[in-house]
Amino acid sequence: MPPAGVIIKADDLWKTYDMGAAIQVHALSGVSFSVDRGEYVAIMGPSGSGKSTLMNLIGCLDSPTRGTYWLNGQMVSELSDDELAYIRNKEIGFVFQTFNLLSRASALHNVELPLIYSGMPAKERLERAGEALRKVDLADRMHHKPNELSGGQRQRVAIARALVNNPSIILADEPTGNLDSATGEDIMELFARLHEVGNTILLVTHEHDIAAHAHRIIHVRDGRIERDERISDE
Amino acid sequence: MASISQTAALPHPRSRAGSGAWLTIREAFWIALEALRAHKLRSFLTLLGVVIATTTLIVVMSLINGMNLYIADHIANLGANVFVVHQFQWAQSFEDYLKARRRNKPIRIEEFEYLRDNLKDYRNIGAQADTQNIDSSARYQDHSVFDVDIVGATPNMIDIGEEKVASGRYITDPDYQHESMVCFIGQDLVDAFFPSVDPLDKEILVNGIPFRVVGVAEKIGTTFGASQDNFVEIPLTTYRKFFSARPSLLVNVQAWDAEQMIMLEDETRALLRARRHVPYREDDNFGINASDTLMETWHQITGAVFGVTIGIVAVFMVVGGIVIMNIMLASVTERTHEIGIRKSLGARRRDILAQFVIESSVLAGVGGGLGVLLALMVSQAVNLIVGPGFFNSSIPVSAVLVGLVLSTSVGLFFGIYPASQAAKLDPIEALRTEN
Repeated sequence: MPPAGVIIKADDLWKTYDMGAAIQVHALSGVSFSVDRGEYVAIMGPSGSGKSTLMNLIGCLDSPTRGTYWLNGQMVSELSDDELAYIRNKEIGFVFQTFNLLSRASALHNVELPLIYSGMPAKERLERAGEALRKVDLADRMHHKPNELSGGQRQRVAIARALVNNPSIILADEPTGNLDSATGEDIMELFARLHEVGNTILLVTHEHDIAAHAHRIIHVRDGRIERDERISDE
Repeated sequence: MASISQTAALPHPRSRAGSGAWLTIREAFWIALEALRAHKLRSFLTLLGVVIATTTLIVVMSLINGMNLYIADHIANLGANVFVVHQFQWAQSFEDYLKARRRNKPIRIEEFEYLRDNLKDYRNIGAQADTQNIDSSARYQDHSVFDVDIVGATPNMIDIGEEKVASGRYITDPDYQHESMVCFIGQDLVDAFFPSVDPLDKEILVNGIPFRVVGVAEKIGTTFGASQDNFVEIPLTTYRKFFSARPSLLVNVQAWDAEQMIMLEDETRALLRARRHVPYREDDNFGINASDTLMETWHQITGAVFGVTIGIVAVFMVVGGIVIMNIMLASVTERTHEIGIRKSLGARRRDILAQFVIESSVLAGVGGGLGVLLALMVSQAVNLIVGPGFFNSSIPVSAVLVGLVLSTSVGLFFGIYPASQAAKLDPIEALRTEN
């Protein structure tokens, strides 16, 4: 078991796909790293480098073929589907490139969703969801549907949704990929603020400019960690 | 900007709060209604099978229910503890009826007198004969009424039957003995002939023969839309003189109580069989009709109708269920991305399963509700067209409940397979699906 300050501990993670006829493809071949509480980490790599696979493992959407993965003091590399769902609900706040909001639901209801699956009573749920939307400066857009919001606003709804369950990590996958650069900067500023107040943030991207916002960059290539560099605070 | 706090290591209970399942169910209801609203036409077409099945079930149940009440009220009600000896059994299959008409001899006046003299202990025994309103008419001055039921009766029929005297008197023993030309008339004739005049002591022509009105009956009402108040009752002796010398009789036997009635029926049967020399193994060649046997036969008939209905409804429901299953499978495919989002946010297999099972149950339940509404309209229409005198086919609550529960269960059952397909989806694959 990793020490208390360590929120992510990955030890020799392998992800192997059987392509039939005894051909095996290693998406990840022995990845080890750890992340402390409160860190702001970018995971960088070109497409096909295995960073998406790594993100799926970190996000508990998938289990490694081999290796151990500790998240917030729990070994999650060998859990069942439903146990992983529970971990995702409690420990992870996802922010996706394509926002992944429910199009027919209001911003408030979208933010409420993780709390519904954690079984919180309605009154408390609405309070918490409203508070999360206020944190991303969308208090006046609570009852708007995603198609009534701009791209930047949609991404902020998604960030509010990621925050609402007080997760151990916020896992953002190309969060600015679908936004123009000005809006992208706004979103990155929001992440910076979230980091300042103590959230642990993992950012998956292939853009240097975006990765530069983080304080540590893990470079992934060919299923391995190529370089793990720390950037001192400017 | 409010501060964003980071909670330190959370405790990790393995199971969630008990209220979680309930919350998921509420969320699923919300989703189901939203989906219905988003695809109104598609949902309606999907539900047609279930709607028709529910409507059929409820309409037939309410018709049978209405007719049961009706039969109990009007037809089977022969008066307290009365049974009727007639040429044949009333409620039976049509073939049996035809056979009985061919084979059985009518009950004649001698047999009535024989029973009257030989039955040991009864409260009353009377006889009636009627023309069965064929080619019969009644006239008063310029007014005529056709298809009048001309009934010859013994004076004690007023104590046995259901008729009551509204004004005047019934046929008396002297009328009977002297073959008097007097009559006791129903309300339809009063309405037609004497709307503003006292009918008593007026002379009317029954099939051209003059009779003096001595009494008027209370209104009875209608049976299956046919008025029961269109009659003229005259002494049986007079009837034999003018209409039929040897009429087929309905002998009404009244027992003291329900218990004695059974014994009295047996005694009557034994006497008549002996008199008619019916061999030991052969069936009666006459009918003994009582309320309970009538009801029993009636229930056999409606039971058969109901059985057929159950079959039809089952077929409709299965077809409707398969259509629902099909649309739910399409819905799962359509909403793969949504399922991916929900799973990424922590929805477990059972949450997704519940969502889709509830959605198809709600869908089918709404179909059942529409079926109930349609059934209401159909029964209203039946009442409007046939008239309120026909069975008051009020929809029984049980029929509505059965319809709703059945349709919802069909949705639940046929939703299980699509829902399990949805629950099994891999979150990564599902998230990658674009739509």
